[in-house]
Amino acid sequence: MANKLEEKTNKEESSQAKEKDIEEIFKEFKEHSVAEFFKKNRQMLGLFGKVRTLTTLVHEYVTNGLDACEDVNILPEIYVKLEELGKEHYRLTARDNGPGMPLDIAGKALGKLLAGTKFHRYVQTRGQQGIGASGVTMYSQLTTGKPVRVITGTGKKAYSFDLMIDINKNEPKITNEKELKREFRGTQITAEIKDVAYRKGEHGPLEYLRRTAISNPHAKITFKDPTGEITVFPRTSTQIPKKPEEVKPHPSTIGVDDLLNLARKTKARTIATFLKTELDRFGGNSLRVLEEKTKVKFNKQAKLLTWEEAEQIIRAFKEMRFLAPKTEGLRPIGEERILKSLKKIVNPEFLRVTTRAPATYSGYAFQVEAAIAYGGNAGRRLINSNQEQGHESRVEIMRFANKVPLLFDEGTCAIAKAVKTIDWKRYSIRDFENSPLTILVNVISVHIPYTSAGKQSIAEEEEIVEEVRKALMQSGRKISKYIAKKRREIEKIKKREIFEKYIPEVAFSLSRIINEKKENIEKMLEKVVLEKLSLDLSNEEEAKEILEEERDEENEGENLG
Amino acid sequence: MEEKKDKKQKKIENRVVKIREKNIKELVKSIEEISKNMISQIRQGKSPVFKTLLRGKGNVFYDEKIGYFQLRERYNFRRFLNIAHARKFMQTTLVMEKAYEYLNEGKTAALREIYYDLKHTLPKSKENTFEEQRESDNVLTDLEHGLLTIREKLNVHADAKGSLYGDITMQDVKHNNDIFNAAKIGRGGWSIMSHVEPEEIKIKKINADYLLVVETGAMYERLVEENFPKKNRAILVGTGGQPSRGTRRLIHRIHYEHKLPVYVFTDGDPYGWYIYSVIKFGSMELAAHSYYLGVPDAKFVGMTMRDVEKYKLQNVTEKLKDTDIKRIKELMQYPWMQSKEWQAELKTALDKKIRIEQQALANKSLSFVAEEYLPKKIKAREFLP
Repeated sequence: MANKLEEKTNKEESSQAKEKDIEEIFKEFKEHSVAEFFKKNRQMLGLFGKVRTLTTLVHEYVTNGLDACEDVNILPEIYVKLEELGKEHYRLTARDNGPGMPLDIAGKALGKLLAGTKFHRYVQTRGQQGIGASGVTMYSQLTTGKPVRVITGTGKKAYSFDLMIDINKNEPKITNEKELKREFRGTQITAEIKDVAYRKGEHGPLEYLRRTAISNPHAKITFKDPTGEITVFPRTSTQIPKKPEEVKPHPSTIGVDDLLNLARKTKARTIATFLKTELDRFGGNSLRVLEEKTKVKFNKQAKLLTWEEAEQIIRAFKEMRFLAPKTEGLRPIGEERILKSLKKIVNPEFLRVTTRAPATYSGYAFQVEAAIAYGGNAGRRLINSNQEQGHESRVEIMRFANKVPLLFDEGTCAIAKAVKTIDWKRYSIRDFENSPLTILVNVISVHIPYTSAGKQSIAEEEEIVEEVRKALMQSGRKISKYIAKKRREIEKIKKREIFEKYIPEVAFSLSRIINEKKENIEKMLEKVVLEKLSLDLSNEEEAKEILEEERDEENEGENLG
Repeated sequence: MEEKKDKKQKKIENRVVKIREKNIKELVKSIEEISKNMISQIRQGKSPVFKTLLRGKGNVFYDEKIGYFQLRERYNFRRFLNIAHARKFMQTTLVMEKAYEYLNEGKTAALREIYYDLKHTLPKSKENTFEEQRESDNVLTDLEHGLLTIREKLNVHADAKGSLYGDITMQDVKHNNDIFNAAKIGRGGWSIMSHVEPEEIKIKKINADYLLVVETGAMYERLVEENFPKKNRAILVGTGGQPSRGTRRLIHRIHYEHKLPVYVFTDGDPYGWYIYSVIKFGSMELAAHSYYLGVPDAKFVGMTMRDVEKYKLQNVTEKLKDTDIKRIKELMQYPWMQSKEWQAELKTALDKKIRIEQQALANKSLSFVAEEYLPKKIKAREFLP
């Protein structure tokens, strides 16, 4: 698909663009005529299944909002609202406090498929493909025939307009354009959609937003669900994450088309300097090998590189060895920030985070961070239909790719696989599936190997699975110590209760045989028991509570039986 | 040096338990000693310990020289502060206190009475001190082994089981000093109490030449009806299956105090052979008590495989079940069943895959067993050892 893309640099300065940043962002706009393609291949884009589609649509807007804010160093405030209009018919509103967009840019960003800024960039981003917000426009149009309503402002002037996509031309159609009378900064989009369903469970928008809040502690996210209930995920960090650095493509992963594109844009004069400056890990030695392996004239002008020459170079690259790609530029969420956000949003009893050093898989850099939260409100709570039966905890696995929550296709995901292959019993977790555990894994990379265009699961690359395993095992070891200690305390209390239950009987019997008061014997025995168990009284209260909970659960079990 | 030490160690380990008949005073003192020790352990901040004999099968052995089971002197230490022992320790102190009370007040109590006397719910729980009688029975056995005495001395008894018939005069010391003759109290004879210690039951006089132990109640009744004891100068004991401790003790006393030979008459099957072995060699469970219960001189009169041939009883034999075969093979391995005669007997049963019941003799005639079978076999001393 990428081979036939029309390339067109967007050099026309937009008169409305006030800030230089914004201009920078939209410089790399690339356009593709793929509206038809979209129409026929909805499922490839994750737009299948009624629940999944809704979550995906929410995701596209939220991601756009977060990216927009981060690009210009604004702490994001995201507002999402869903209204039920009829059966499987909703109105989705999403608002951010980002820089807003000039009118023509907004039209392209929201009304032209595959026109995003993210495509063709070697940088760790949330989306990787610019199908995003314009995909929602497309979907809305296909299911309801209605345009999306956009309000966008750069702080002073703001516009509202209706937007549709001309499917044949893949061009935005803007109508009803108005200048707002009030000042507004940010973007708000409202789309009417059909054939979707709202669910509260682990595949629904609420869970998606909860997890997004966890991986973006600098964002405040507010959600109003179709019943009018408002959930606010507060900001737990006022630090805007550093922007990921754009990295140069690694020779082992670059394709012919990408190489040609780079050659046309480069400032280097010759092919030789072009290769040395624009590629990662490509130096003089590599050039000498390349000279032997190909018939390309490397002192030729870089802009004149032909398709055939590029092919020769790429073929030679496959036979050559390069240093592993540089790993700078990756931006994990960060231990501190994960700790804070999980504490606030999950509120577990105990929590450990591990960040692995960056690693590489087939020419791409990646990095893994993992957290294990135990006890408290950790774990997925199953609320039974009968409220009196209370809740039980199941393990909850939160997967993220470049900080974006992955809610679907867990079965084929490298993260899920890594979780499964760990022997959790070694980490004092006896019944993994039914433990109060929340496991968070974030894989970041300039190129996440998704298993499909739905982008909900990470391919099982050996190196990734291994890194995830190591990260989890590192956190597991820390958790294990805590659980084991706690269990010992609980054991002690259980033992103490058993001994104390028998003490009066023993004391009574002995007091009847020899001349010693029952009460004295009891006191002495209690002392002996305490010494034997050497109870740490400070931990006792907490352990007792857990014990109570366990008992309640046991009793409930009995009642059920 | 090492070797010497090993030998010494072995000697101690192989020391055999000798249980003594202790009187009430001694027992009361023993219990007080144990309790005092417990209190002083508690005072020192240690877990109180109850020491009793280790009664596991690994600690039991067959003493060939004497001809019965013995228990090696090894101990089990039951600690209150061991979570696995705590409940049993609590039960032990309860039973110990109760035994102490009975001894001091001169009362006797049945096992079941002790169980109900001590059973109550522990405060703030659903747990009882004892959930079933087996628990208090076991603890009592621990106590008798801990005190190195026999249960009977602790004034605790079980249900009466077993019957005695014949010209034997006894005195019930604890019940109006009643004197009675077991041939003159009707066809049922005397119901053997679980408690037949000399301080309770005195054997005054016996007019008989031997003691015949019979497995089944039906055979016991048959022999009484046929007037077998009188005609043959025999004392008859019916065990009604596996003999109770009281029955074994009484057989033991009659044998040793009045020098009466003991003959055992059971079915020719694994169960019957086991009854014989318990009377003769004692039991694994009460190995320490063999001295009071075992009768190594006892002889087996029938039923035997030879009887089947001799009296042509082939058509009234029963087939061996798989479990019987397994059991016979086990019996053949036991050190106390290694005599030529027994090995041959068991092998024949295995080869023919048959067993023979006492009642099969009725196939000849009802009186055959009393008129012919037993008198002739006993006269001819046709026994298995």
